[in-house]
Amino acid sequence: MGISICDVSKAFSSFPAVKNVELEIPTGDFVALLGPSGSGKTTLLRMIAGLESLDSGKILFNGLDYTNKTVKERKVGFVFQHYALFRHMTIFENVAFGLKVRPRRNRPSKREIKEKVHELLRLVQLEHLVDRYPSQLSGGQRQRIALARALAVEPEVLLLDEPFGALDAKVRQELRHWLREIHQKLNITTVFVTHDQEEALEMADTIVVMNKGMVEQIGSPEEVYHHPANAFVYSFLGRVNEITGKALSETTLRVTDLEKGTVGYIRPHEIVLKKTSEGLGMLVEVVHIHSVGSTVRMQLKRRDTDDLYEAELTIETYKELGAVSKGDLLHAEFNNIVVFENEPGTSHSLQEQTKFTAAFN
Amino acid sequence: MVSREVTLHFDTSAVKVASRFDSIRKWLLIGVALLFLGLFILVPLLAVFSEALKKGVQLYFAALIEPNAWAAIKLTLVTAAVAVPINTIFGVIAAWAIAKFNFEGKNFMLTLIDIPFAVSPVIAGLVFVLLFGSQGMLGPFLAEHNIKIIFAVPGIVLATIFVTFPFVVRELIPIMQDQGTDEEQAAITLGANGWQTFFRVTLPNIKWGLLYGVILCNARAMGEFGAVSVVSGHIRGLTNTIPLHVEILYNEYNFTAAFAVASLLALLALATLVIKSMVEWKTQKH
Ligand SMILES: Nc1ncnc2c1ncn2[C@@H]1O[C@H](COP(=O)(O)OP(=O)(O)OP(=O)(O)O)[C@@H](O)[C@H]1O
Ligand SMILES: [Mg+2]
Repeated sequence: MGISICDVSKAFSSFPAVKNVELEIPTGDFVALLGPSGSGKTTLLRMIAGLESLDSGKILFNGLDYTNKTVKERKVGFVFQHYALFRHMTIFENVAFGLKVRPRRNRPSKREIKEKVHELLRLVQLEHLVDRYPSQLSGGQRQRIALARALAVEPEVLLLDEPFGALDAKVRQELRHWLREIHQKLNITTVFVTHDQEEALEMADTIVVMNKGMVEQIGSPEEVYHHPANAFVYSFLGRVNEITGKALSETTLRVTDLEKGTVGYIRPHEIVLKKTSEGLGMLVEVVHIHSVGSTVRMQLKRRDTDDLYEAELTIETYKELGAVSKGDLLHAEFNNIVVFENEPGTSHSLQEQTKFTAAFN
Repeated sequence: MVSREVTLHFDTSAVKVASRFDSIRKWLLIGVALLFLGLFILVPLLAVFSEALKKGVQLYFAALIEPNAWAAIKLTLVTAAVAVPINTIFGVIAAWAIAKFNFEGKNFMLTLIDIPFAVSPVIAGLVFVLLFGSQGMLGPFLAEHNIKIIFAVPGIVLATIFVTFPFVVRELIPIMQDQGTDEEQAAITLGANGWQTFFRVTLPNIKWGLLYGVILCNARAMGEFGAVSVVSGHIRGLTNTIPLHVEILYNEYNFTAAFAVASLLALLALATLVIKSMVEWKTQKH
């Protein structure tokens, strides 16, 4: 089922939670709504499900106007952030619920329901838990049961609100793969909410980056990561260093007519560190070093302006660089500073992204 | 090394002294509480039964099936049979509205619900007299249509409903608030309609709290004196409930009969307590 969201807005009392959102979701797509807390992701998802009304705009399912259809009529599967399993029912009854509440004439027989439930439990690999109660399950298991329950009614759209939000890192990782697999198997149009950029980049076919109720960019993971539409998207999709004012105009000599207040950005892994100057680096002092798995992060302080930057090296480049300890002086090259010509705030208009190669004196 | 052992030894003995002191204090407190409970609750309860049975079992039962007493028992049962279901249904609705929706005037509604607890039952009764009595606001209208409320059964039922309204609502609001609306929303996305959602999801989740509220409501409905006394008119065999009948018998120095009838209320109280603790035990298990 394809979904079109046309100029949809929603305010709570006077607070605008979702503003003029335009979004086209083709059938079978796997979409991530990505944005910081309070950016309106849940609200948008709930509007698609019909759990929240619209102030203005339209929502179409397969080209038909579904704006005023009830939740029931939309036939969407919804997985809630905290699972919302029925606590007084066993896992079997939870999964069977959607089938049992059907009107008699299209309710499957007891045997069919039983078969269907077991089939779904096999799909989520939890058939052995059929007689347990939700309180006797782990978080990851509850999540999977919530999904099985939503799939039982054979929805054509699957909506998930922060499906892995409450789980630990390892379980998250497993469930991500698993959800992708299920999507591949069933090919249901799927929209999930997350505030974790890594999760969105790893799982989605399409990422919708949201901020303050508005859509900042829609695109494939590659597009949003490598060609961010604006500063917000750039900074939200990974760690960044901001370079402002004097520091910026000094580092980017080629830029002559920079407006006041322009911000340059560079990702930590794009900062190149050298022990000896090759005429291009600026002098920085190492303030802090710590290694996270296969990467090494360094806190750097620029000698002349005291600006702080973060650099990220792979273990290999770190070894090439040779022993570095706190207090050492290094030469840093900022090779890929990105500048967005319109600054955040007005950032939803299309902006040109300009790349500079820094030239240092 | 040596000094360390000494301090260790010293420490444990200090702990022992402290714990012995603690246990003395504990038993002292328990003793005082038991003494108090015994004196003010158990002794009167026993007194009711011993007084009721003093002149033999035969007289005891005779007092209960005496026509006026029997009428009072029936009226009490009828009153509870009307008031409790009404308060249960409206209590669930009000609790649902307050716990699961946001609307203007919610706090005002909460305050309204508490009024029966805050106001003296006598005042509650008087309000009904002022409204429906022959001198009251609606008096002439009722007289014209030959409807009798005050000094009749409808008045007693109304007063009882008023006094016992908060029990179910108050019991349910915190439970429902605690559970939020997630499960209901999930039910709706799975295709359930309103009734299915209520009977399959909401009700099972609140059933123990609801039962608890209902038995408390019932105990009060059967035992209410003040409000009912004002609106009843004390017509023997017609508008006396059990508590009112007990008072009349008592005022006539008919102690055995008074205590015999009163023992019914005491039994009701005991039954209520037993059910209540069973419900508590059940809810703790869940
Ligand atoms: N029922 C509501 N009443 C009032 N304001 C609301 C309501 N629901 C959401 N909001 C507001 O709307 C904004 C968007 O909320 P929403 O839940 O959609 O954010 P979100 O992107 O899902 O955030 P999070 O990642 O924290 O879940 C927030 O500022 C929130 O305070
Ligand atoms: Mg949210």
